[in-house]
Amino acid sequence: MARYRYDGTFEGFLCVVARGLDTADESAEFLRPGDVAGVDLFTDVIHEVATERETALRFRERFVAAVSKASFGAARYAFHSQVAGVEALVWRYIRLGLDKGIRLHRMLAEEPVWSVNRLARRVAHEAHKFKGLVRFREVAWSDQTFLYAVIEPDADILSFIAPHFSGRVGDRPWMIHDLRRSQAAVYDLEVWRLIRDIDRIAAPAYTPGEEACARLWRGYFERLAIPERRNPKLQRQHVPVRYRRNLVEFGE
Amino acid sequence: MSILSFQQRLEILADSAKYDASCSCSGTSRQGTPGGVGGTVSSGVCHTWTADGRCVSLLKILLTNACIYDCAYCINRRSNDIPRASLTPAEVVNLTMDFYRRNYIEGLFLSTGVVRSPDWTMEQLISVARKLREEERYNGYIHLKLVPGADPLLVAEAGRHADRVSVNIELPTRRSLALMAPDKSRESVINPMRQVSGLIVSARAERKRFRTAPQFAPAGQSTQLIVGATPESDREIITLSEGLYRRLDMKRVYYSAFIPVAHDPRLPALPGPPLLREHRLYQADWLLRFYGFSAHELLDEARPNLDMRFDPKSDWAVRHLELFPVEVNRADYEVLLRVPGIGVRSAQRIVSARRHGRLGEVELKKLGVVLKRAKYFLTAGGRYLGGIRLDGDGLVARLLAPAKRPARLDQLELFATVPDASAISGEL
Repeated sequence: MARYRYDGTFEGFLCVVARGLDTADESAEFLRPGDVAGVDLFTDVIHEVATERETALRFRERFVAAVSKASFGAARYAFHSQVAGVEALVWRYIRLGLDKGIRLHRMLAEEPVWSVNRLARRVAHEAHKFKGLVRFREVAWSDQTFLYAVIEPDADILSFIAPHFSGRVGDRPWMIHDLRRSQAAVYDLEVWRLIRDIDRIAAPAYTPGEEACARLWRGYFERLAIPERRNPKLQRQHVPVRYRRNLVEFGE
Repeated sequence: MSILSFQQRLEILADSAKYDASCSCSGTSRQGTPGGVGGTVSSGVCHTWTADGRCVSLLKILLTNACIYDCAYCINRRSNDIPRASLTPAEVVNLTMDFYRRNYIEGLFLSTGVVRSPDWTMEQLISVARKLREEERYNGYIHLKLVPGADPLLVAEAGRHADRVSVNIELPTRRSLALMAPDKSRESVINPMRQVSGLIVSARAERKRFRTAPQFAPAGQSTQLIVGATPESDREIITLSEGLYRRLDMKRVYYSAFIPVAHDPRLPALPGPPLLREHRLYQADWLLRFYGFSAHELLDEARPNLDMRFDPKSDWAVRHLELFPVEVNRADYEVLLRVPGIGVRSAQRIVSARRHGRLGEVELKKLGVVLKRAKYFLTAGGRYLGGIRLDGDGLVARLLAPAKRPARLDQLELFATVPDASAISGEL
């Protein structure tokens, strides 16, 4: 069994796959920075794989040509679920895809296609949900203001939702901060960038108008429910309690 | 009269707007312009859900809840003793921009009570949309209500700024309308719908020839029917909806369970809103739009109302057992769509996956096909999945048995004052 250490990004993972393709070995173990390799008597070598954008892009082109864009999308979304063991799963999926070609798409009921699709659906669903659940707050910053949002999603969805917001709020700088992963998407009126290892050290200073606007929204939200149709169970299905911490309308 | 704060006025107007069921912000796809504000997503985006489980995607608000009309079913009717308030167009524009930038909402759904005259009122609504588009460079979703009786020129102007326009029929028949809403004629509702339908079709044709031709309400038009305020049968309602979809190219018909918002001798005394009936009507509506059913297949003169015990597709299938079971590896897509428990997505997956290999019960489950009801209507590789012989009564018993709760209808009657929450699923 081969062992690879990579930087934890999808690009890095593609570089690992591109490099590992020549090996006939189906199984592999993947280590992210900080992971401690378990003791294994037979494989003491860990391949360190550097992330090269060029290599990743070339591999993407190759896979899309051999299989399909949709299958590549499924692999990408599933990878971002970050569940334990997802690398090995996507690894098998990609290798199977290069073997079967376009037919991979139809092997819905077979492994690893079924699991990859299931994860991809879950991530895509959460990403779509967060297009609605991001809440920007206006923050004063030196002599300007920018819009700041905090999210804590289950999957790593920032790179899926950031393009949506650069089209939507194009006239203000903004930042969406994933606290769980200490990373943020930052938009500077031209392009958005993903910034890693960014923690919050102090509560941001909201502008004077921000609380007034939040209060209007809370009051509006409360009144919009029809008392005769009260249905908190249905509400919980749509807005799980774990998401509510960062939603203005569920705060005090 | 004391002067109301902005917050108070907003809350009064939210109270008055919440009975409009429409929430959709889908149907158009527009990229944001560089440096501009807003775009639309074709699938729509829900932003939050209120305590009744309904989604909030649009800032649903009235310009004013004062009204010269006295429609019995409406909370804002002239004779109702409620606080009245209004917002200026500039206030609505600022509020929309503030909420939109913070991603509270996906767009604006602006309606209003009728004050002074229908034309004056319509002009006020249009001025909000125009300000948003032209002064704020707002590119997001706008849904405008058309005021019954407004000038056709104003209707045409509304559709140039809005993604969707709507005028609510509210009551399915002319007779009920005359009884409950004596100030509105059927024509004042239907005529703008016809006009909008014509304008949408011609604008679409024009844009095929010139890409830059102006758009007209690209997300189409919708309407709403109140269920349970008047004695119409489900058959009358569903047949009307079918006509609206087929002849006027309506995008959505919303059904709103009647909530008694006033005591009026013309209105029935209901123990609670007929939520289960509303749910069944939505199911029937989906069958019309996405499953290839016709209204006369679901209901006829002998059976004018939907069965409250189970969904209209199961009901139809039980009455057509001669067509079942069907073979999952061979049946056409259209036939699969008619199997209870199989939806559009399951049918698509089955058709796609069976080209690769034969499907048995295990494979179906892996595809995510829910067999709870479907198994009684399917064979897989020649093997019947239901386990029991298909006959009418036994099958009905089996279909109803898996429900853990006793039949929902009974529950509604036993605890009549508690709305049947479980009956509502999905967004309105």
